[in-house]
Amino acid sequence: MIIGWIRLAIVGYVVLTAIYFIMKIYLRSVARERLEKEFDAGGLGGDRSAYVEAGMARYDKGLKKNLLWLIYIIPTVLVVVTVYVMNFQ
Amino acid sequence: MRYVKWGFWLTLATLVFAFLHYTLPQTDIVRIVGSENRRVDIGENSLFWSRSEVGMTNTTSRDVFFINAVYPNGKTMEYRNEDTGWGWPPYFKINSFGLQTQAKEFASTEAAPIWVAVRHYGWRNQFFTIFPNAVSIKRVAGPDVTLIPWINIIILTALAVVLFMMRRIWLQFRERTIDPALDGVAETWDSVDARADAARDRAKGVFGRLGAWFASWRSKPRR
Repeated sequence: MIIGWIRLAIVGYVVLTAIYFIMKIYLRSVARERLEKEFDAGGLGGDRSAYVEAGMARYDKGLKKNLLWLIYIIPTVLVVVTVYVMNFQ
Repeated sequence: MRYVKWGFWLTLATLVFAFLHYTLPQTDIVRIVGSENRRVDIGENSLFWSRSEVGMTNTTSRDVFFINAVYPNGKTMEYRNEDTGWGWPPYFKINSFGLQTQAKEFASTEAAPIWVAVRHYGWRNQFFTIFPNAVSIKRVAGPDVTLIPWINIIILTALAVVLFMMRRIWLQFRERTIDPALDGVAETWDSVDARADAARDRAKGVFGRLGAWFASWRSKPRR
């Protein structure tokens, strides 16, 4: 069981990757829906799909999408902090 | 049927509650009266025992640390003191030896009591011979201190947020992916229906019916 933490890390990161992709798809879907509703509310000229695609390109570069990496960072930090607090304090 | 439904949900709620009650940390305020090291042969109750210390070979027959304690009201409590290691529940406890030393340090008599808060998870049950696993010991001022279970508050709040997000994600998935797909199926079905109606209209009357029968021999119009 000396390699127990390696097993935990592998299984943990596989699960986190699944969560990462689910959240990525979900947040993109929400962003797209918001853009579509913005356009459908009227007052905006031009092509609907062009407007949505431009908005999605902006979303892909934005801060909100990059915050998704927190899905990996927060659990890792939590585990390290828990190990320290539980055993070395 | 209503009773079956209620029974199902009641069972599920009981299982979830029991699982959380077993796994989440609880804190007892006790006086430690002693500690011991005892050989146990773990049998049918193995679910309620941990594994060997990190790095050691895992067996079902091993020495386990125990901590004996007394509540302020005089009732007794026994804790096991085992590593959880890297497995479940995720306490990542690897210092059972250090905790045992602490327990020895805090051991006190009734005349000069030292009150400690023992954080633990698990249940004491005499019918299965199972013990809660102590994870930390802290000295407290007296037997009447109030401790706010911040960790449980945070974990349960996080769990509620996760459940809420799962529901949101599912609803979004249904609205944006499943429903449009079902609409597509409905449209296809409608057009099939319309073609069947048109064929029936053509097949009115004797000659019409005969013509429609011949027509059915011909190959379908290409779309």
